[in-house]
Amino acid sequence: MKNLIHNPLAFSGLIIIAIVLFIALFAPWLSPYDPNYIDIHSILLPPSLIHFMGTDGLGRDVFSRMLDGSRISLLVGFVAVGIATIIGTFLGAIAGFYRGYIDSIIMRFVDIMLSIPTFFLILAVIAFLTPSIWNIMIVIGLTSWMGVTRLIRAEFLSLSNREYILAAKAMGARDMRLILKHLLPNSLTPIIVSSVLGIASAVLTESGLSFLGLGVQAPQSSWGNILTDGKEYIQFAWWLSLFPGLAILITVLGYNLLGEGLRDLLDPKNKN
Amino acid sequence: MCRNYIIFLFAILFLNACGNKKEVLYNFEGQFEKEKGGMLTDAMSGEPSNLISMIAGDSASSAISGNIFNKLIKYDKNLDLASEIAEKWIISNDQKTITFFLKKNLKWEDGYDLSSEDVLFTWKLITDDKTRTPYGSDYKLVEKAEAPDLYTFKVTYKKAYAPALDTWASLQILPKHILKDEDINNTFFSRKPIGSSYYKLSRWMNGEKLTLEASTSSVMGLPNINKLTSRFIPDTSSQFLELIADNIDLMNINPIQYARVIPSRPDLEKKLALYKELGNSYTYLGFNLNHTPFNDIKIRQAINYAIDKQEVIDGVLLGLGEPVASPYKPGTRWSNKELHPYPYNKDRAIQLLNEAGFIDTNHDGILEKNGKSFTFEILTNQNKQREMTAVLIQRRLKDVGIDVKIRVIEWASFVNQYIKTGDFDAVILGWSLSLDPDQYNIWHSSQQKPGQFNFIGYTNKEVDNLLEQGRTELNIDKREKIYHTFSKILLDESPVIYLYAGYGLMAISKRIKGIDSPAPPAGIAYNSYDWFIPSTLRRNEITE
Amino acid sequence: MLHYLIKRLLWMIPMLIGISLISFFIMHLAPGDITASESAFNPKASEESRQKLRALYNLDKPLITQYNLWLKRIIKLDFGNSFASHQRPVLWEIKDTKGNISKGMIQEALPITLMINLIGLLIIFSTSIFLGVISAVNQNRWPDRLITIIVFIGFAIPGFWLALLLMYWTGVTHSWLPISGLHSAGYEKMGHLAQYTDLFKHLILPVFISSLGGLASISLYVRNGMLDVLQQEFITTARAKGLSENKVIYGHALRNTLLPLITIIGLSIPGLIGGSVIGESIFAISGMGKLFFDAVLMRDFPVIMGILTIGSVLTLFGNLIADIGYAWADPRIRRGISN
Repeated sequence: MKNLIHNPLAFSGLIIIAIVLFIALFAPWLSPYDPNYIDIHSILLPPSLIHFMGTDGLGRDVFSRMLDGSRISLLVGFVAVGIATIIGTFLGAIAGFYRGYIDSIIMRFVDIMLSIPTFFLILAVIAFLTPSIWNIMIVIGLTSWMGVTRLIRAEFLSLSNREYILAAKAMGARDMRLILKHLLPNSLTPIIVSSVLGIASAVLTESGLSFLGLGVQAPQSSWGNILTDGKEYIQFAWWLSLFPGLAILITVLGYNLLGEGLRDLLDPKNKN
Repeated sequence: MCRNYIIFLFAILFLNACGNKKEVLYNFEGQFEKEKGGMLTDAMSGEPSNLISMIAGDSASSAISGNIFNKLIKYDKNLDLASEIAEKWIISNDQKTITFFLKKNLKWEDGYDLSSEDVLFTWKLITDDKTRTPYGSDYKLVEKAEAPDLYTFKVTYKKAYAPALDTWASLQILPKHILKDEDINNTFFSRKPIGSSYYKLSRWMNGEKLTLEASTSSVMGLPNINKLTSRFIPDTSSQFLELIADNIDLMNINPIQYARVIPSRPDLEKKLALYKELGNSYTYLGFNLNHTPFNDIKIRQAINYAIDKQEVIDGVLLGLGEPVASPYKPGTRWSNKELHPYPYNKDRAIQLLNEAGFIDTNHDGILEKNGKSFTFEILTNQNKQREMTAVLIQRRLKDVGIDVKIRVIEWASFVNQYIKTGDFDAVILGWSLSLDPDQYNIWHSSQQKPGQFNFIGYTNKEVDNLLEQGRTELNIDKREKIYHTFSKILLDESPVIYLYAGYGLMAISKRIKGIDSPAPPAGIAYNSYDWFIPSTLRRNEITE
Repeated sequence: MLHYLIKRLLWMIPMLIGISLISFFIMHLAPGDITASESAFNPKASEESRQKLRALYNLDKPLITQYNLWLKRIIKLDFGNSFASHQRPVLWEIKDTKGNISKGMIQEALPITLMINLIGLLIIFSTSIFLGVISAVNQNRWPDRLITIIVFIGFAIPGFWLALLLMYWTGVTHSWLPISGLHSAGYEKMGHLAQYTDLFKHLILPVFISSLGGLASISLYVRNGMLDVLQQEFITTARAKGLSENKVIYGHALRNTLLPLITIIGLSIPGLIGGSVIGESIFAISGMGKLFFDAVLMRDFPVIMGILTIGSVLTLFGNLIADIGYAWADPRIRRGISN
């Protein structure tokens, strides 16, 4: 933590994330209006003191929708990455620990999944499963665990030759205990780094899906679908696309800066 | 390395500077003489798949093929039937036989004669079981079709079939001399058609654009505009940018663009003219009549009173639409002028709900009956306007104590998982405002099997009778009466709630002249062959 | 080496079968097929005729049978025809009896996507190496931080939003660049040079947008790689020998950093093809992404399967070539393989 403060980029990333998380957590209390309240007498109003970010084509307050959308956008990121991390860690741990043909099978499966263009896979599944928030999270999760698997496996392979692991094995420690007590805690670094970076990608993926009409569906707001609604009027009602665009940009930037900063910090080579 | 980069950047800047287009100033105002020539460019979201419209079935295809092929008869400016290549038609006294008399000296684009043989051939094609068309069933009702001479085409139905003329006003006639030995389902003709109407295909670049050229052998005469180019641009925001940059001449726009964006920009108003025409479809809220409580007419009427249609039109369409009270185009003969939409009346709605047994006993703001609260789900597909409509309805129904959930689903899954299986409470969808009043497929009680169109499960003996009568009555006044009664029952029983019929909105470059405004019932495109582009207004860089 | 190659090639067969199995079953996860497209929801179209179509396309058979049928055709490299009513061949052109040629859908779309992405890759790599080296040399000073922020902004900005802003700015307000498409009206009538310039101008924005996202990861990779290498002994030795700093950095360190980049090219292929959906939709370019998206919405199964298979084959070959290239460039590994 102390080191983080000395890395201005990572630190600013941390601050951004803290602010965004705060907003998302307290959205209902911060928001001046009901995000879904339609007022057909005040459509497409530019930003003002009454509506900080203006209103949209149905007279809804964009600021309130942005606050509401922050929860969905972040939820998508967290749950998707959670799923990917769990699957990735599990398969990576098994492959790295048992090696041999189990490792071969798992890694060939990873290779197969890596060879299919990921976004195509996501598109196909979402289109066929109907795009609900949960389906989006699950699908992004199910198609992005391969990187984690490779990382964990590599980590396990290198760790399991260390003396203390060999010693524990020699003393007859059970597999589960070895994995959970000794190997996993020592592989946390790559897991954390890749999760933080993964959240950034998931937020972007959701906005891309929204553009194609397959993201979070109205009337539920997400940054992606607010931005998509606004894209028709960039030259007229600029506030409809500027605020969600910037929100995505800043949040994703924050996660990336934090993730890279953590990687630098936790990398043993950079200890000096 | 660094130096290379700077050179590269300069190269780009240099190219940009060279590419600077000279701003051409056109004077769009004033009187212009009709003249031939020029090119009109429009944008399409989807690419036509096939230019044989009986096989294709998508709207992009029929929009293009309609310029290439002729029909026997057509709908005119006021949506009355008029001659196209048949100069007249006679209906026999028993109403079972229709005889079409073709014009003389009709030619295909390649010089061959167009005769009743071609019409007969086209009928055989569409009724052939091997042809992969979903539209054959109407034509299979013809018991006997014959071409006694080159200019006469005669069809006899088993029993009188009133929508028959409508079917002949939509069948595009194909050339027998080319297609007789071809497999219609898989023929190169569909991408290289030979037609007889105003235009012929000049060039089709897959995924990019399609250009039609005025056909000198057109049986309809030469159109004014020489070339029509359709560019395929899937994203509507990109289309709009192309429109305001003056790279395309015509685009369908949305209400916000029509009412807010363009009027707020004097530079756009200078070069774009806005048109609106009566749309071809209406949007409705349909109930699953097999589910309680929607089998109760009072509930349906209550919901009808509880929804403020004008609010939906103002909110979703910015006022650019009309309420409807029957499934027919307002202003045409089939639409019953005595019918009016249910007015917005919250108290009446609550009263009807109470009468039906729904009362808010636990004071949570939601009505209950037998201890169950009134909650239902509205399904709709991914269509911005329908989504917004659903949200407005949700709020109005909350006012009267009904809790509505909204679910938006992609089209194919919507149809397969919900519509076909009947697994829904209510849907927001659209039906077309058909030109022929026959709506047997949608409302007749026999049409409720999975995949058929009475998926809401509407059953009414009287309506069944009327629909059957209407199908066999060719006398237009008697028919009108039948469908007026039918519309009245539908409105009373409210199996669906008519929400609105939106206007078709278009922005067209002011270089296109000769457009009727306000639009006649048939829409502005009815005389597109008569539109023209004065030579002083043409884009000079286009020499294609 | 040859032994290694053959082994790698043979491995591709089970992998391709795996890929096709996954694709095939995902595609059939939900009900719905071509006969349920929006235009088919028309009261004039009857259910019987839709059933007829379903039978014609074998959509009424069990999944396993459908998969077997597909596999049997694919072994003969027959990717079939699209379910759409134009029935164009999925992969490669066919000639009918009259000599008319129907171009294959992938045949037309793939070169466009490849062209954009290969130019994009070239730009990504040249820019990234440039930025990465500057970053590494100035580690933790302001040029390093500035570059890091810039490349991350490039990654974080939603592509379609930036694309529309740029289209508006360069296309509408200034008329510097065309807005969408790949060719101007009248392209056919232009001379060769004018055609190239026209194409170049149409490509600037799509290539820019498609390469922006890849900049961050590669330039950071170069930066971190350089930092690693600069700490190693042979660099210290080189410095001690009195070589100029420029020679140390560009002659020694950079070369050793760039080697592993070769494998990254192979790995980035699926991401690039997949990422093309949004860019191609917004710029109205008919490449693989748009083809795939349209096919998904229409449930055009042969096209979906064709694209997924071809995409995967490309990736597998890309990886193979990258590995061989890496081995060829790095003598240590070359020896490892031939042993």
